[in-house]
Amino acid sequence: MQNKLKTPEKTSYLADLQCSGCGSIYSAAEVHTFCPDCQSPLLVNYDLNAARQHVDRNEIHSRLKGMWRWHELLPICETQNMVTLGEGDTALLHLPRVGKSLGLTNLFVKEESSNPTGSFKARGLSAAVSKAKELGIQKVIIPTAGNAGGAMAAYAARANMKAMIYMPKDTPSANIIESRIAGAEVILVDGIISDAAGMAGETARKEGWFDVSTFKEPYRMEGKKIMGYELAEAFNWELPDVIIYPTGGGTGLVGMWKAFEELEQLGWLNNTKRPRMVSVQAEGCAPVVQAFEKKAAFCDFWINAKTIASGLRVPKSFADHLILASLYESNGIAIAVSDASITESQNELAKAEGIFAAPEGAATLAALKELVKKKWIRADERVVMFNTGSGLKYLDNLG
Amino acid sequence: MGNNILYIEDNPDNMMLVKRALEARGYKLLQAMNGLKGVAAAESEEVDLILLDINLPDIDGYEVARRIRSSSKYALAYVPIIAVTANALKGDAEKALSAGCDVYMSKPINIRELWARVEAFVPSPQKSS
Repeated sequence: MQNKLKTPEKTSYLADLQCSGCGSIYSAAEVHTFCPDCQSPLLVNYDLNAARQHVDRNEIHSRLKGMWRWHELLPICETQNMVTLGEGDTALLHLPRVGKSLGLTNLFVKEESSNPTGSFKARGLSAAVSKAKELGIQKVIIPTAGNAGGAMAAYAARANMKAMIYMPKDTPSANIIESRIAGAEVILVDGIISDAAGMAGETARKEGWFDVSTFKEPYRMEGKKIMGYELAEAFNWELPDVIIYPTGGGTGLVGMWKAFEELEQLGWLNNTKRPRMVSVQAEGCAPVVQAFEKKAAFCDFWINAKTIASGLRVPKSFADHLILASLYESNGIAIAVSDASITESQNELAKAEGIFAAPEGAATLAALKELVKKKWIRADERVVMFNTGSGLKYLDNLG
Repeated sequence: MGNNILYIEDNPDNMMLVKRALEARGYKLLQAMNGLKGVAAAESEEVDLILLDINLPDIDGYEVARRIRSSSKYALAYVPIIAVTANALKGDAEKALSAGCDVYMSKPINIRELWARVEAFVPSPQKSS
């Protein structure tokens, strides 16, 4: 399958944007946010037939490491617009000791803390800021629970763009400091990310900033989806059996599900069996879990959201229906864990495997323990947890 | 049961979007551009569901919900109210529910979610894809 037709190199097979709700098509050469007709997120389409003919997965494997080696499946058309700090190609670590304690032989963690700015948010913001640059945007704004703000500040600095960030006043201080040192204007909000989103949206409208809120522009998900490509490559072009993912806005979960579809269409998978997707939330903010248990298509707004995992304190994702759809389609599950179990799992990962996980990442281990108890996972299944960031960014929480 | 939906909203763009979406499903949309007109419309018209913006130019949506719930028109004690707001400021959802709203939605309004929320209370007379 890898004898590809040789053609002049194409940076991206970007085709257009498509509404995830009504299916309307929009030009990818213009600035878009979300669908103006039905107000659903826009997804990026590629000419996958052409990519299938001309792009060689083995050639991609031989390139310099990093997210942008997958550039044909990313939305940037001119290489000079790729704003990179070395994101992507994070380690996939086997967890023998934690696995043994749970009776699992094939337990892994995708260690996203090695990304620039110490979290998986680097991937999405690298893609979004790059596309913003390509579209001529000069100032970007974001509401954040913390890590997305830090990442946007860094990539905006790298792209010589202005950055404004709205974040809750109790956001970990590392996020505030990293954003300000990169030159971003940081506004601390008395509330949580949904409050920050309202204010950022209003400032964007009044002052002409481009809003890179989760799913309110199409490109952050494209950076995140590469986690799915990396997993497929790491498992020799098969997919793991189970992916356990902490879910706030859900970009990574939806992005990986999109990646699996693209990989199948590209003909790059040796086995097209998809993973069961597990969405992990905190008991103090679990809108996806609540909706999943009711088999609903949308989440209710979670009132009085509280958890130590600030990235999970998202009362309702703009793409809730896409998160839920990926869970239903994959025969997955949504599970809520307590803050106490998150802290316990954070300690366990550090002591047993040397991984100082973010609380959101530790939540995936807390969820895994529940799933093992329920016998939802077989002992020999390949299970991948996501540690989405470094515990070093949450020292405030550990007092 | 009828299919009359009252939308209390001062933003004409949102009004147009929701009108088009709901009329596509066969609902009849009654429109009020501020809170006082909204309360008056709820009291004078047959209304099966109310969509209520919170940020209104005269009285806010919470006050609208309170007045509707305490109206002398008996049916208004039970008419479903869906609150919608652009600025999800701290406590908005809690305040909306305690003022008498049944459901809280934040803008931008996803039309498929709106259809689902409305249909949970008022079956669509003309369901389309």
